[in-house]
Amino acid sequence: MSPEISRRDFLKLASVGAATTAALTGCGPASRYVTREPYVKMPEYNYNGLSTYYATTCRECSAGCGLVIRTFQGRALKVEGNRDHPVNMGKTCPRGQITLQGLYNPDRVTDPLHRKQRGSNDGEKMDWDAAVQVVTDALTHNQPNEVAFLLGMTPDHLFDMVSDMTKAMGAPAPIRYGAPAMFESRATLVQAAQTVFGQAALPSFDIGGADLVVSFGANFLEPWLSQVSQTRGYRNLRQGTPNHRGLFVQFESRMSQTASKADEWIPNKPGTEAVLALAMGRIIAEARGLPLPPAFATADVNQAASQADINADDLKRLATILGNAQRPLVIPGGQALAQSNGLQTAQAILSLNAFLGNLGKAGGVYLSPIAPLEDAYHRPASAKEMADFVGTLKKGAVKVLFVHGVNPLFELPKSLSFADALKNVPQVISFATFPDETALEADYVFPDHHGLESWGYQKVATGSNASVLSGAQPVVSPFHNTKATVDLLLAASQAAGGQIASALPFKDELEYIQSKLSTMLSNANGFFTAPEINSFTAYFQQHGGWWSTGDDRLAPTAADALNANIGASVSQFDGDGEFFLLPFVSPTLAEGGANKPWLQELGDPTTTVMWNTWIEMNPQKADEMGIQDNDIVTIVSPFGALEAPVYRYPAIRPDTIAIPFGQGHTAYGQFAAKRGVNPVDLLPQKYNEAGDLAYAGVKVHVQKTGRARKLSKMEGVLGVYGFDAKQ
Amino acid sequence: MANDLQLPVFTNTSEQEVSGKWGMVIDQDLCTGCQACVAACSMENNVPFVGEEDANYGRSMHWIRIERFWSGTFPEVKMTPYQPMLCQQCHNAPCEPVCPVFASVHSASEDTNLQVYNRCVGTRYCANNCPYQVRVFNWRDYTDARARPWLTSLQNQLSPDVTVRRRGVMEKCTFCIQRIHQAEQVAASENRSIADGDVTPACAQACPADAIVFGRIDDPNSRVSQAALNARGYHQLDELRTTPRITYLHGASNGSNG
Amino acid sequence: MARRFFNALNQPLGRIGVFIALLAVFSGVVWGIVQTQKPPEQPIQFPHNLHVGLGIQCLYCHSGALRGPSPGIPTETKCWGCHQQIPIQGTELPKLAAYVENDKPISWVPVAQVPDFVHFVHRPHIAAGLNCENCHGNVAGMTVYQNPQVINMGWCLKCHRQKAQDNPVLYAKLTDCGTCHY
Repeated sequence: MSPEISRRDFLKLASVGAATTAALTGCGPASRYVTREPYVKMPEYNYNGLSTYYATTCRECSAGCGLVIRTFQGRALKVEGNRDHPVNMGKTCPRGQITLQGLYNPDRVTDPLHRKQRGSNDGEKMDWDAAVQVVTDALTHNQPNEVAFLLGMTPDHLFDMVSDMTKAMGAPAPIRYGAPAMFESRATLVQAAQTVFGQAALPSFDIGGADLVVSFGANFLEPWLSQVSQTRGYRNLRQGTPNHRGLFVQFESRMSQTASKADEWIPNKPGTEAVLALAMGRIIAEARGLPLPPAFATADVNQAASQADINADDLKRLATILGNAQRPLVIPGGQALAQSNGLQTAQAILSLNAFLGNLGKAGGVYLSPIAPLEDAYHRPASAKEMADFVGTLKKGAVKVLFVHGVNPLFELPKSLSFADALKNVPQVISFATFPDETALEADYVFPDHHGLESWGYQKVATGSNASVLSGAQPVVSPFHNTKATVDLLLAASQAAGGQIASALPFKDELEYIQSKLSTMLSNANGFFTAPEINSFTAYFQQHGGWWSTGDDRLAPTAADALNANIGASVSQFDGDGEFFLLPFVSPTLAEGGANKPWLQELGDPTTTVMWNTWIEMNPQKADEMGIQDNDIVTIVSPFGALEAPVYRYPAIRPDTIAIPFGQGHTAYGQFAAKRGVNPVDLLPQKYNEAGDLAYAGVKVHVQKTGRARKLSKMEGVLGVYGFDAKQ
Repeated sequence: MANDLQLPVFTNTSEQEVSGKWGMVIDQDLCTGCQACVAACSMENNVPFVGEEDANYGRSMHWIRIERFWSGTFPEVKMTPYQPMLCQQCHNAPCEPVCPVFASVHSASEDTNLQVYNRCVGTRYCANNCPYQVRVFNWRDYTDARARPWLTSLQNQLSPDVTVRRRGVMEKCTFCIQRIHQAEQVAASENRSIADGDVTPACAQACPADAIVFGRIDDPNSRVSQAALNARGYHQLDELRTTPRITYLHGASNGSNG
Repeated sequence: MARRFFNALNQPLGRIGVFIALLAVFSGVVWGIVQTQKPPEQPIQFPHNLHVGLGIQCLYCHSGALRGPSPGIPTETKCWGCHQQIPIQGTELPKLAAYVENDKPISWVPVAQVPDFVHFVHRPHIAAGLNCENCHGNVAGMTVYQNPQVINMGWCLKCHRQKAQDNPVLYAKLTDCGTCHY
């Protein structure tokens, strides 16, 4: 304030100013000049001025949760869970809630594009007739074995349609892949079920029915298989039985969000889960006075404890609790399977379940129901199979590659060099809804609708007692000039003529879906039946899918499981660094959430960090190395290096560092691009015996850079003045 | 300590003050910290995101957030159960008496704390006086397409039932008052009073663990009243006598993380 | 600078200057208020009087008022349902025909408006026994709709207070900030 103005004068001036401002702003609503456009043709089931609700299926991951979307005047406003849906029963995860920011994302691919130069941001807009012609030419001008389809985990109707198409053409079947499948180690779970139970199915763990859950690295409260249904299971574990709170123990080298809910968190050394499980089996067998099954015969309790760097008494105590539990359940997952010995770990743990006698019983292990339209569970490609596919691409054997719903340039380990492989493919056609890294390297981008603008169905792989085909329908009309990929491929098939045209005689996507649904009309297990397909489709849309009324989980048998010597040992690690590297899927972003700003702004549950990648390091270890919060360090693995700020995480082993997966995009829109780093850059080309990537099987060096970057986080900066609690 | 400072001692004894109208019970044993409630709240209530830089200043606008605290050092480190923190809708609300323009007022009919956006002039006294730090301030026009033109398409998702707040306005959890009103109108048109379960705020609706229960606490038979009788129940910062309407249930009563 | 300004206030000329400035501000405000109360330009000069005169109920077109917050503006298909059977003549009907033919929405400008921070819901008002004309006036006598009175909070509260004066619970509800502002 100028010294020439007294405080009194200032107040006089201020009051004049305030009165003027008040008078001027009181002039009336700013919305005076807004116009309102009613529907030209309103759908007849709408009611003027009221919201309309549509049942559909979430496409943020492949779990297949049922959603009910509130729409108003043709806009989607709010995501709610479908209460009747057997997977999520009216609940949602954060990614399901924020799927609307994908639908209305400012960075969507708005039109079909022809990119003259791969990697360049600008493409030439095309019309859809030309796009159909491009696809038709790609299908007809190449030999069938030179055409390859790479599809994501959703949606299933597209996968079925492409499978039918490639079969008719004589082309190789489409390959399905997604980073979630890699982090979930689905191939390992299926292979272990095959070995132990004799059936190649996805195991289903009845968490809610158990009274003691021991989890070896399984992040079942995070994006892992079916987060919402597993969280419901967790609720029932704790409070499903009156006056009996089920217990939960987690073995994991870092306290994950899941481990933070455990009654006991045991930070074992990575890669020792198999020997720990077998040792627990041995302790229980001995305590029960049973003859020692061959599976546990080689286990040495004290050696296992020292290999795992945990207290042998703790191990014995927990094994005793496990042996005495009425409905015990042991779950394999997460980093435990992502080791060179991952398959043995899964086998050891499933065998331990068999020994505890919980197969096919409440609170035990089942095999997930086979979804409608399926003969068995078909898992997505393992990382090993992807590596073989990349090899095929590198040889130049593929002339045209179609990509939908997957972003291999971001999701595959850099050491696989998918980027180089892509250079040997003359034509790449992407159906990406968002301009992700792979779409940027494609010659053509023919954008598919967003999931909320699409027809479809999803076969629920696990997460429900019933066999579920979750239905999707458009809740709003397409926001941009996009086209359903199934429609595009059907049009191209018809134009191509011959075998393909006669195998796919459908005029549009809905007709194709109805052709699949028509096989289910007479299925009396469903909660509805219909005499003909149009009524069936109407019910299917209304309820958000079809599911059976019974319990379709299969009870596995394991007659010989305990007689085999699993021969588990501690896993082998690549690299000679001083730290075990533990990549984990970001609990809020998962693999595809980075382009949705509100997902970016959700604090990570354990660290509260937003909008960036952090490296978790034990504070004592960081003190030794002179590393403070926010100090940028370089992580060097034999396969790559990256830089990110440190978050001193109190609940991680001193010999382990952890880094979330989900950030580090170079494209994928303004909210995702150039933000954080991608830990797959560090990962080895090393697989377990089931072919899943041993992503936790590498040891790394950590070096200080001397620079720092302040991480945005919730903790310590609360309150409107944004004070830092440490200052 | 309190005697040294000669603080006034609040007493609250009247029946109405204890009973209230709307209330919530949050079970920390069930909360898995998954953030579904935060996401659902933001989508329902047009809560803007602020971006990395502003979030770094502590300006993020979450109406509900998940807190956790640490104790001990590795390997004896413990995390407290996740604690969803939102406006406690206190009866003796510290935010209310400090507002110079009566923008932070108590609702006589719903017995919640209101924030009247059109009255608020942005002194931020209320947020400063809130012991729970649950009030958030619009430091910028986060939702204004004129200020952030790249957000235009995202605006299609805004709910018409909730005001889009402007710069300089304080805001906070409303117990999804738009849903309360809607349920009241439906009940009135059916000539009945509101039944238990008619109103579910967005957070409780989304919660995959069903850790949040909402309802009438003046009805002793409602689900929320029954849940609040749990022996694990407590109020946040009860010693301040703010009479919060949210009862928390202690997590992990027989676990080592509790 | 400020010191000189306050010195000038002590001179008669200075005071006249300030007076003129305040008058200008005041006139501007009055002009602004008048502007906001004028009915806005509409794409079609819709004759409410004719339609109401024919005995068409308000709720036939604005049906949302019965069940929700917003009465809604009728869709073109609703207009056209009747008008396709009526000769297209005069100045306004050809405009409607053009909108329908081109599949273009009509951009109406709302007249009975409340600010963004007010959530007016029609449903409880109708449930309380109010008729449309209690607030919207004699629409049968208007062509393009105009508000019969200034719609502001004082006008709302006057009625709310009157309706609830004998019922303290209702009074609390009808005068509660949170009933309209959220």
